[in-house]
Amino acid sequence: MTALLKAGLIALATTAPGAALAEWPVDKPITFVIPYGPGGGFDTIVRVLAPELEARLGTTVTPENIPGASGTRGGQAVARAEPDGYTIGIYNIPGLTVSQATETDIGFELGDVTWIANIASDRYALAVAKDSPITTVAELCALDRPIRLSDTGVDSTSSITAVISFSIIGCEIQNITGYSGSNETMIAVMRGEVDATLKPLNSMQGYLESGDLRLLATLSEEPLVEGIPTTTELGYPEISSFGLNRVVGGPPGMPEDLVKKLSDTFMEITASPKFVEWAASTDTGLLPLDAPATEALMLELAKFYEKYAPLLLQTKG
Amino acid sequence: MGLDALFGAFAMIFAGGSLLYLLSGMMVGLLFGIIPGLGGTTALALLIPVTYALDPLDAMYLAGGVMGAVSFGGSVTAILLNTPGTAPSAATVFDGYPMALQGRAGQAIGAAASSSALGGIIGIFTLLLFMPFARQVVLSFGPSEFFLLAVLGLSAIAISVRGKLLRGLIAGLLGLLLAFVGADAITGDLRYTGGFDYLWDGIPLVPTLTGLFAISQMIELALKGGTVAEKSSANMKITGVWEGIWSSFKHWDALLRGSLIGTLIGAVPGLGGTVAAFLSYSSTAQSDKDPDSFGKGNIRGVIAPEAANNAKDGGSLIPTVAFGIPGSAEMAIFLAILVLHGISPGPAILIENEREIYGLIVALTLSTVFASVIGLMFTRWMVKITHVNVSIIVPLVIAISLTGVYVLEGRMADVVLTMVMGLVGYIMIRFDYPRLTLIIALVLGETAERSFHMVNLISDGNPVGFMVARPISVILILCTIGTFLLPLLRRKMAKRRVARSLVAKP
Repeated sequence: MTALLKAGLIALATTAPGAALAEWPVDKPITFVIPYGPGGGFDTIVRVLAPELEARLGTTVTPENIPGASGTRGGQAVARAEPDGYTIGIYNIPGLTVSQATETDIGFELGDVTWIANIASDRYALAVAKDSPITTVAELCALDRPIRLSDTGVDSTSSITAVISFSIIGCEIQNITGYSGSNETMIAVMRGEVDATLKPLNSMQGYLESGDLRLLATLSEEPLVEGIPTTTELGYPEISSFGLNRVVGGPPGMPEDLVKKLSDTFMEITASPKFVEWAASTDTGLLPLDAPATEALMLELAKFYEKYAPLLLQTKG
Repeated sequence: MGLDALFGAFAMIFAGGSLLYLLSGMMVGLLFGIIPGLGGTTALALLIPVTYALDPLDAMYLAGGVMGAVSFGGSVTAILLNTPGTAPSAATVFDGYPMALQGRAGQAIGAAASSSALGGIIGIFTLLLFMPFARQVVLSFGPSEFFLLAVLGLSAIAISVRGKLLRGLIAGLLGLLLAFVGADAITGDLRYTGGFDYLWDGIPLVPTLTGLFAISQMIELALKGGTVAEKSSANMKITGVWEGIWSSFKHWDALLRGSLIGTLIGAVPGLGGTVAAFLSYSSTAQSDKDPDSFGKGNIRGVIAPEAANNAKDGGSLIPTVAFGIPGSAEMAIFLAILVLHGISPGPAILIENEREIYGLIVALTLSTVFASVIGLMFTRWMVKITHVNVSIIVPLVIAISLTGVYVLEGRMADVVLTMVMGLVGYIMIRFDYPRLTLIIALVLGETAERSFHMVNLISDGNPVGFMVARPISVILILCTIGTFLLPLLRRKMAKRRVARSLVAKP
């Protein structure tokens, strides 16, 4: 009797994934976890993706903000959920990659997350105030004191990017952290408290258009803004690959067919004219990668930051 | 910029069904304001999905309705039950509740209504006046000014606790200790989290406030039994509402002071309405001819904080709209609504989204006025709460406020914290320690610590030299010194007067 039950359960378990896809998604809402509060970049992109997912999957997609603990609470919530495709989340990469490389407890294993798709990769840029006497990166480095930069927290992605980038360029920085949002870090530049700030290009767009900020360089291989040099042109190709990635993932152990269906759907969305147009209007750098490519990217990033872990641990004190 | 847009917005709101959104927002705001544990932040957060389907302008009316009405709702509970319905109403309990105990609840609510409405209007006009200078205002407040404002706020604690200075300082220091819990804002190191990741972001304000004020007060009431109002049926008639309304005009100086402090503190991100109301209360009490009458039912102690907590909405719109930096917790949610509707806050917003922004301003103005009027219409019934047996009030308030705390973030740990803080608050009531002092220190401690670290880094370890070179910082330093010196000076003058009158007598 028990053996029969066991056999039945095994049979059920083995057929489950196929059955899951056949039924998935039934009329049950999919929760899309955002590990930050409403209004930020991660929130916005999920809220743009959600209705597109709804239209293609035929079920409700509910964005849910689970902010807190530097964006790890949301990741933990996804990690705890059933791998049934009804809970997915968006991840801040390389923010979490760095946390894991520097052995900060994030409450879940990044390596266990089922990676579904990479959506965007925002390029970083370095900017100064419009009336700053500094016009090039070389001039910035030639100040006879450490360069003052503004950031939200030492473990924020842009702060880490700044630390690694300027160590490669070879000039000393003093990162002033504690600003409560990326807008405030830019205003700090305008107030003149700091010399420059390194931030995703799209988040600076408003102040670049109003003329309050002026770009010195973009961290990219290809020119992104006319007349502004790239780091590759300046001779630092290693730092051109930095970006802020917005990656979609799910709980550990999601069935492959489910992942493929979700991944394909995301690829379809990111290729749609509507989404491309939105990305262009908000200066979001699209980098659509399907599940296997995303997985590979994550491994590559983990290796890269592993290398810089000692440097990062040192700046953390 | 200007009046055309404003008049246009006024005309628009009276057209079509727009008024309906404003009124619904207002009713939600009043209700969420009255109930402890629920506040403007929760109301707006719950309304986000509703606004998704609305036209951006209607979404503004809804949000403006909530924001304008919520603080008056909170004051009603503060006056009647000694339990602020929302955080910014916490300072209203100082004199509002003693008034209710004396059977002057109608007068206190009348004063709260008129000063809320007038404070809101003054705040919005200050906003319109300063809109062209929004840039300069925001750019002249850096870490140095944030730090000094926080210090000024902390020093005001000493004034607000007249007569029990030591207890006030102990409660304040306890608040500062609690402010250190969580990740260090500069280094990201975790401190005093005891292995709970719940504490990574520090001790959250809403559960702490709800526990310290609502739960503890309910424990107190339950143990005391009977009804809130000490005098019985003889006082069932509500008198003095008109007198209360009129008192805001009579004490126009307290009203103006409260409104201006409210607008200023509102414009500084991270401080918010609780600090605004508290500072305007302590500043009014301190500069009064008879400071000892505060805390015993002085109507000026209701007018000043009430004016401030409505005026702060106008002020906090300055950084929110012009720079996308939320001036308060409510504004952070409001920002999300803006973004949802494709409006990106920033330097260009006043040009690109003039219609929505002026719509919001008009909604806020009308809401503060209407909420007061509607509130007054119900005063007669609301005051009866103080005559209802507490065995009915206590379980209701506890159940609803705990639900409210849970709804905000959906964390059970918040509910547990609320209960713990409720016990702490009850102990503080029993041993006569001021609870608001703890809250103010908890709010300001974080700002003070973080901005001091930043000033230290920016100035290469010479923070004093950096601060005295900035004009606004110098003004704030002088204000802080004045806060300590004024009581001493006054005592000296009083002594001299006594001496002179003694000499005059033969």
